[in-house]
Amino acid sequence: MKNFIEVTELKKVFGNGEDEVHAFGPATININSGEFVSVLGPSGCGKSTLMLMVAGLLDSTSGKVEFENKVVNGPKTDIGIMFQDNTLVPWRTVRGNIELQLELRGLNLKDYQEKINNILKSVNLDDFADRFPNELSGGMQQRAAFCQAMIHDPKIILLDEPLGKLDAMTREKIRADFQKLWMVKKPTVIFVTHSIEEAVQLSNRVILITPRPGKIDREIKIDLPYPRDLQIKRSAKFTEYVNSIQEVFHKYGVI
Amino acid sequence: MKKFIKWIASGWMLILFFVGFFLFWEYSIPLFDIPRYILPSPSEIVLKGSADLDKLVYYTGVTALETVLGYIIALILGVGFGIAISFSSILRRTLYPFFVSIEMTPKIAFAPLFISWFGFGLMPKVIIVVLVCFFPIVLNAILAFNSLSNELTLFYQSTGASRLKTFFSIRLPAALPQCFVGFKYAAINATVGATIAEFIGSDKGLGFYISIVTGNMRPDLAFAGIFFLTVLGLTIFGFVTMMEKILIPWHISMKRINR
Ligand SMILES: Nc1ncnc2c1ncn2[C@@H]1O[C@H](COP(=O)(O)OP(=O)(O)O)[C@@H](O)[C@H]1O
Ligand SMILES: [Mg+2]
Repeated sequence: MKNFIEVTELKKVFGNGEDEVHAFGPATININSGEFVSVLGPSGCGKSTLMLMVAGLLDSTSGKVEFENKVVNGPKTDIGIMFQDNTLVPWRTVRGNIELQLELRGLNLKDYQEKINNILKSVNLDDFADRFPNELSGGMQQRAAFCQAMIHDPKIILLDEPLGKLDAMTREKIRADFQKLWMVKKPTVIFVTHSIEEAVQLSNRVILITPRPGKIDREIKIDLPYPRDLQIKRSAKFTEYVNSIQEVFHKYGVI
Repeated sequence: MKKFIKWIASGWMLILFFVGFFLFWEYSIPLFDIPRYILPSPSEIVLKGSADLDKLVYYTGVTALETVLGYIIALILGVGFGIAISFSSILRRTLYPFFVSIEMTPKIAFAPLFISWFGFGLMPKVIIVVLVCFFPIVLNAILAFNSLSNELTLFYQSTGASRLKTFFSIRLPAALPQCFVGFKYAAINATVGATIAEFIGSDKGLGFYISIVTGNMRPDLAFAGIFFLTVLGLTIFGFVTMMEKILIPWHISMKRINR
């Protein structure tokens, strides 16, 4: 049986001639339905490039991306997407921003009000539904952006360092929120990060990317039970995973 | 009433400054023995000006018509071209550099030509106002429609929404704050364009009035004309600012919070 997502010999070179930048690949990645996969690598190794190609938002130089055997050759629309800089617009409230996702997709807002309330409650934003993004803290903004990316129940969620700009404490809290939501809905998640601990805590599998041009060094299955709370993070096994990944990047001179 | 008191309380320094300024002006005229055909006192300007009030009001209407008409035409053309240039790579490589280079020319220099081509009527003034207002509006509109963040672009692409839908849901509202920078700049320049056009060739309007009374050694009436011109300029600018507050309240409040 074919995998849910198949990335085959995917490669990206920006520009041409003198200005050529070999940003990513070639690399082959397979992802199962409902899997939480982290893409971990140093800054500039091509993680975002990979994610955009998977989403069909960027053309590859060679290779292909397939979802359920269908080749991607244009923006994929049955996805939810989230970036380091969020996609909340300043002229809409939190609720309005979540509705923006639905409006752009031509979905009926009335059918979703209950759902919006529920998802906001699950990330403790229910009291802030009618606030504007600039009235929220960075962490609350990312929570709202997460609701925006999830509201239409996408089968696939692409997260490009969504917690990159937040302080350590807030990151910890939002990670737990993400995990909770993922465990309920079980979408397939590709999570781009450069935090080793974050990758180990959240994922079924971590894909380690070498420095640019990013290739796959190895994949590590994380065999820990969910939810991965503080207790699990203190366990010897967790530390072992983190250490072994650190060693790989140490070898590359990244850390 | 409370609001009014608050307003006085916060603006008292400014009010005091204006009162002081006009008092100083009023009393320095006799004090320094300045001849009235050089600089009249404020009280004399009010007195003589009110005797000519009918004319002043009529001319204000004339200049207002030229200014507002030119401004609205420039607004429509500027935003239209701005959007067209933002969405067409051909126009971006042809019209855009053309506009940028014309922007360097002082548009008012065309005024005598237009007057000689089109005569003393309304049209040449309107054209000059359009010319003066068009460039700040179009250049800011181009900037506005080209500065959508990468993330938002990727986001709407991932929704599969039509271009029209994205335009009204995202591109247009995101562009409005920068558009208003151009609208406001043009609003300041609009009356300047109309006035200078009237200086050069006309038989009515505040610019015409000011140049005639100055020639007749009546600086008191010239100041009265300038006063009406100022009121006209402030009214137009105030209206544009009010529209900004109504159309993009989120932007105003954002500025307040970020300060
Ligand atoms: N649009 C582009 N044009 C040219 N080079 C690019 C472009 N996007 C990314 N790059 C380059 O590709 C490399 C990988 O970028 P990116 O995928 O953003 O890395 P990461 O997300 O892992 O930090 C970098 O060297 C970057 O400068
Ligand atoms: Mg990146």
